[in-house]
Amino acid sequence: MAENAKISPQQWERVPAEKLEKEKISRPSLTYWQDAWRRLKKNHLSMLGLVAIILLTILAIFGPMMSQFDYSDQDLTMSNLPSKLEYYQVSEDSYIYLHKEYRLYSLTKKGEVLEKLPEAKNDMINKFRSYEIDGKEVVVDYSFAAAAIKSGDPNAKKFEIRIDGEAVQPMGKVWNKTYIFGTDHLGRDLYVRVLYGARISLLVGLIATVIQFFIGVTYGGISGYTGGRVDNIMMRIVDIIATIPLLLYVILLMVVMGAGLKTIIIALGSVYWVTMARIVRGQVLSIKEQEYVLAARTIGASTWRIMARHLIPNAMGSIIVALAMNIPSAIFTEAFLSFIGLGVSAPMASWGTLANDALGGLRTYAYQLFYPSIFIAVTVLAFNFLGDGLRDALDPRLRK
Amino acid sequence: MGKYVVRRIIAMIITLWFVCTITFFLMHSIPGGPFTREKELPEAVLQALNEKYHLNDPLWKQYVDYMKGIVVFDLGPSFSRPGATVNQFIEDGFPVSAKLGGVSVLAVIILGIPLGIISALKQNRWEDYVVTVLATVGVAVPGFVIGTTVIYIFSAKLGWLPAYGLTSWKHYIGPVLALSGFSLAFVARLTRSSMLEVLQQDYIRTARAKGLAEGVVIYKHALKNALIPVITYMGPMIAAIMTGSFVTEKIFAIPGMGKYFVEAVGNRDYTLIMGATVFYAAFSIVMIFIVDILYGVIDPRIKLED
Repeated sequence: MAENAKISPQQWERVPAEKLEKEKISRPSLTYWQDAWRRLKKNHLSMLGLVAIILLTILAIFGPMMSQFDYSDQDLTMSNLPSKLEYYQVSEDSYIYLHKEYRLYSLTKKGEVLEKLPEAKNDMINKFRSYEIDGKEVVVDYSFAAAAIKSGDPNAKKFEIRIDGEAVQPMGKVWNKTYIFGTDHLGRDLYVRVLYGARISLLVGLIATVIQFFIGVTYGGISGYTGGRVDNIMMRIVDIIATIPLLLYVILLMVVMGAGLKTIIIALGSVYWVTMARIVRGQVLSIKEQEYVLAARTIGASTWRIMARHLIPNAMGSIIVALAMNIPSAIFTEAFLSFIGLGVSAPMASWGTLANDALGGLRTYAYQLFYPSIFIAVTVLAFNFLGDGLRDALDPRLRK
Repeated sequence: MGKYVVRRIIAMIITLWFVCTITFFLMHSIPGGPFTREKELPEAVLQALNEKYHLNDPLWKQYVDYMKGIVVFDLGPSFSRPGATVNQFIEDGFPVSAKLGGVSVLAVIILGIPLGIISALKQNRWEDYVVTVLATVGVAVPGFVIGTTVIYIFSAKLGWLPAYGLTSWKHYIGPVLALSGFSLAFVARLTRSSMLEVLQQDYIRTARAKGLAEGVVIYKHALKNALIPVITYMGPMIAAIMTGSFVTEKIFAIPGMGKYFVEAVGNRDYTLIMGATVFYAAFSIVMIFIVDILYGVIDPRIKLED
């Protein structure tokens, strides 16, 4: 005790400032959302997804405006032109492309499609067409086609192009610069149609999800907050709905209300809210036991105020994850519905209707299916990546 | 257990009643009735048709008649094909669809689960990456894209597989791929993650510590537990394969129920749509019920009394 009483004078000195630094909070304090964004940024795949979605949205909004074509512009002379053209040279500056239907088109060297060439003669009995190009006689002889199809060999020779009586070989392939994704069976530009389809598909995904959000949050919120018997009955109803294959009811609603953009959105939004309701209820059940809810109630806040100001904002993390996961499934379902003929009505196009339209000419014009399919797959993939990232970022259990 | 089964059966009956009622009233809320055509039918013909299909009866009577029919599995006549009944369509189409769906379910189990196991055991090696990439893409590509791509590459370009019909084993490859693609990818992912989780459990360490062979540890101790989440997915998978059959059967021109259903939607054959919806819903609800019961039998930790 006596030793303790002896305090050396040094001990009375002030602690140097640098030692106090240790007590400082070095990391800036982040809000929940800042923290989530920081974690999301570290996840490369979901950032890739986010960038892809933003790019796609920009393309969908501005792409159709930039193009010289409109999504409903038809030009039957330009039907079924692919995105990659095999070209022949006739003279110095004159290039031609032979369509799969044995028509000739004039091209520029860069791959711009100029026009469908007028035939000088079309002999359907001997199966050839002749053209006058730059003073030369160009003959498309397709009399081999019947035998080639009969032989069953996909590589058999089907036609021959003769310039002034001499058979010529293709010079090579060039990308179609006028219609970069090609054209469909009515000569509409596929690039504009695919981007226009992106508008429809993203719109359906987004609005249907927003409707699900409102129904699900209201239903789940009421059920969770009220509790007791009301909760029990409301959740039994949800259990019943959850065991029904809901796609059937989307189809049924579409049949009842008639196909169209509005119907798809309403049908998808009004049927698939069950998961959202369950998630919100679960969150609300745990949040409503918190002290701040009790505090709000003691000072006389109304139920709606507590719901809107305390319960829903605090459940937002899980809700956003569910929303991000629901968008791709809505896009998927829309494509599915369009594919079975319940989509938007012509001449509007979504990716599903484009894929469905391409089905008829699949063997010859596969590119018509390729582009919408790639867009669906990439979009769904991007949303899936983003959703996974959001789940990791917003789930507090994974917080470090 | 017995009590739980009884409760579930009661819930199932309520669900079925709910399904039938909603379907009935939705279909009857269509303005114009089933015989509204662009070219109007003569009044007398319309009257006769309405008389024949009891459409002049009050709605409640039609509803009671329809429900009576459902109880004895009579789904009524088809509107678009005179003389044919909805039951006939189901009898013709369902066996074909069931065969195709059954093979697809088998494909998911036989391919999806082993892929997931391989992926989990070889975590962060090339096998894992291949499976993960395939599974990620598989979940993002719609069935109709898989189906049409198979037709284009293997039927049109290479000529290896037939493009339509369902007569030999070769005919099954394309439709089964299209039908099971999504579920296969999903099951592989599910198996992988649940296997990885189980492998970290204490009882796996115990099993290894007491000197069991690695094969026994993995297949007897780990896999059994890892498969439980996969079994829960069986119910949704049946629904996914069922609805997937709409597009697959359309693409491959397979005369199954899915194709008839899509055609009925196109023709606005209301009774057939109604009958098929009720049938599909009932089938799926019963399957989910069976899966749930099995789930409780397989996993003794789940108390079915709740």
